[in-house]
Amino acid sequence: MQAVQSPQRSSAPVVFPRVGMLTSERWLIGVHVMSALFALSIGILMGPFQTFRRAPAFVQAFPDWQIPVFSYYYQALTMHGVMNALFFTTFFIVGFSYFVTQRSLQRPINQTMGWIAFVLMFIGLGLILYAIWTNQANVLYTFYSPMLAHPTFYLGLVLLAVGSWVAGAAIFMAYIAWKKEHPGERVPLAVFAILVNQIMWQICTLGVAIEILVLLLPASLGFLFVTDVQVGRALFWFFGHPLVYFWLIPAYVSWYTMLPTQAGGKLFSDSLGRVAFLMLLIFSLPVGVHHLYADPGVSAVSKGIHTVLTFVVAIPSFMTAFNVGASLEYAARKRGARGPLSWLFHQKWGDPVVVAQLGGMILFIMGGFSGLINASLTLNIALHNTAWIPGHFHMTLGGAVTLTYIGITYWLLPMLRGRALYSDKMALAQVWTWVVGMLIFGHGMGTAGIAGAPRRTDLGAVPYLNDTMIFWLNSSAIGGFVLLISSILLYVNIVGTLAFSTKPYDYEPPIAHRGDPNSPLWLERWGLWIGITLFLILIAWAPVFVESLNFVDGFNAPFFDPARPSPITP
Amino acid sequence: MHIDELERYWLIAVSVTLGVFTAALLASVFIFGVRLPSPVGRIDPTNLENTEFAEPGLRDMGDGQYTAHIVAQMWNFMPREIRVPVGSEVLFNVTSRDITHGFFIEAHNANLMLLPGQIAQVRVTFDRPGEFHIICHEYCGPGHQNMFGVIIVEDPATAGITE
Ligand code: HEM
Ligand SMILES: [Cu+2]
Repeated sequence: MQAVQSPQRSSAPVVFPRVGMLTSERWLIGVHVMSALFALSIGILMGPFQTFRRAPAFVQAFPDWQIPVFSYYYQALTMHGVMNALFFTTFFIVGFSYFVTQRSLQRPINQTMGWIAFVLMFIGLGLILYAIWTNQANVLYTFYSPMLAHPTFYLGLVLLAVGSWVAGAAIFMAYIAWKKEHPGERVPLAVFAILVNQIMWQICTLGVAIEILVLLLPASLGFLFVTDVQVGRALFWFFGHPLVYFWLIPAYVSWYTMLPTQAGGKLFSDSLGRVAFLMLLIFSLPVGVHHLYADPGVSAVSKGIHTVLTFVVAIPSFMTAFNVGASLEYAARKRGARGPLSWLFHQKWGDPVVVAQLGGMILFIMGGFSGLINASLTLNIALHNTAWIPGHFHMTLGGAVTLTYIGITYWLLPMLRGRALYSDKMALAQVWTWVVGMLIFGHGMGTAGIAGAPRRTDLGAVPYLNDTMIFWLNSSAIGGFVLLISSILLYVNIVGTLAFSTKPYDYEPPIAHRGDPNSPLWLERWGLWIGITLFLILIAWAPVFVESLNFVDGFNAPFFDPARPSPITP
Repeated sequence: MHIDELERYWLIAVSVTLGVFTAALLASVFIFGVRLPSPVGRIDPTNLENTEFAEPGLRDMGDGQYTAHIVAQMWNFMPREIRVPVGSEVLFNVTSRDITHGFFIEAHNANLMLLPGQIAQVRVTFDRPGEFHIICHEYCGPGHQNMFGVIIVEDPATAGITE
């Protein structure tokens, strides 16, 4: 029997089986992965139907047709955003971070804390589902004030955040205990990145926590009747930009520390990987105003500062492109690739775990460049809140991040179940339909957006569409259809693996137990990096809040139920 | 720390490119005067009747200059329609009476968030005749997709004849 269940002894090192899992590990990580896949199944189902509702050809052909289950467009869209962007990601990230931390450090995280965190987040999921299901939270995943939702919506978010904080604390504790036993050693790169991610997360969630606990929750409970909308948006985007790196870093963990082995080679540079992650920590927080370029209450100077820093935060992603690219080249050359570019094609195209990540990278190239365009504050005037924006982030979040998580699922789920993946062929078909579907969808959305089609709109029947918009919205629905097929393939394979797979599981996940001894130890001076981060936050955000915080004539906007054009009064 | 030579070149190339982009952007705003939405003033959204927004609409300031006051509310713009001759320069002052809305003028690089409590401002030159929609591009409740206005830019040579 495994004797690692009791929390008292949980800081003692253990040896994990190479192929297979300890019972405690299987349960704790299993519930997170299953919750993530559950949230994704609800969220993802809405997506294709949104593209249909936004396509004039489809709406003309089926005028009375609604999105299944969540019939009302904005209810479905709230579901899509909240389930995909907030719950799928957070559950998956916490579960994957536990897995990587425990195995790399060869010590279990505190089980009591792990389970408390899970229960909090799971109750949060239940509360949010209730609020959206009953049509009491049609506020989209950004829940901008002064629109109000039912208190269970905000409570659900609070529980998700608090749960993720407890999870982060459990990860920090495991690291501190490891560090005591291994003075002078470098922590494995994967854990280094996960620590960066958790530190960033603990800082950035403070913004949204203040927004919810001070402004929105009291208002929805009937204690507060006026707010300042600009301050609310600034608090949200203080959190909202690091949020995207919170999604991306675990995908990078897979690209840096697992993919090189999975592809048959090794990582090109461990230390520059560390530098890239540290830059993500330092520069992802002071850039949130690039979501507020069109806001009336933020000065051009603040917008300029955040623009400069936004371009700096692009650098670690270019570093990643080089480092991961070089690792893939090394792997291909080892297998016999010769010509200057032939390594690009000499990859393991038969392995769904590898192909999902490479597919994610293909989409990420589109996402990265369209992101630099959004970040350009003057070009953004033409694109802000048009369909271009969802076109962009379905390449990054819906592409690189989601496909990489799916790639991880293709080995982690079999490992949890103890059986091989149900069908590799189906998984390969799923990945390629996802890549092709996203490219068609994203291109349609992007071009319609340049022509002026708005996002977040039940667009199929509105009178202001012009021919260009109509053409490209229809084309993005074709992408949506391909993605519907891809999603079905994904879930058939998941259910197949859980219920019908008979092949034994024999895959050993690539985990390193120590960091490269050549990477400098000063990269682990967390106090220093957190200090620099806080300093940059102060410089970049203090002016924004000074500009918008004005308790005397600022807090004067009453709250509204989104369905009714009259204010909520005492 | 060891950095591979090729990687060093890559990093330099990336940094220089991004640096040039950034410099170009900052120059476009702070030197060449591309206007971004910036603070022009606050307002009490529950009391628009006693402000410059009491009677929204277009004012002719002479010399081809106009000022337009527009109020966004669930789920329309007031006024819904504006007519100006070709070549006019219009200063839009816009605000929201209730929740967050968007203000996007088709084909004219005007793109604002409208927040209750804030006045948003943008200056637009209309140098082509035609009908251009004002689109609300921020979700604002069940009627959001019906929220739009129109700007009719008239060619003085033909205006009046058609009416
Ligand atoms: C099956 C594939 C998918 C399709 C066809 C799809 C489609 C769409 C469409 C059409 C919109 C825009 C709706 C509008 O602006 O009116 C949208 C928004 C969004 N999608 Fe997806 N999506 C898919 C998968 C995903 C995934 C995997 C994620 C994240 C993990 C995701 C996250 C989001 C988010 C955060 C929004 C923004 C919601 C908002 O504006 O409030 N989507 N999606
Ligand atoms: Cu609106």
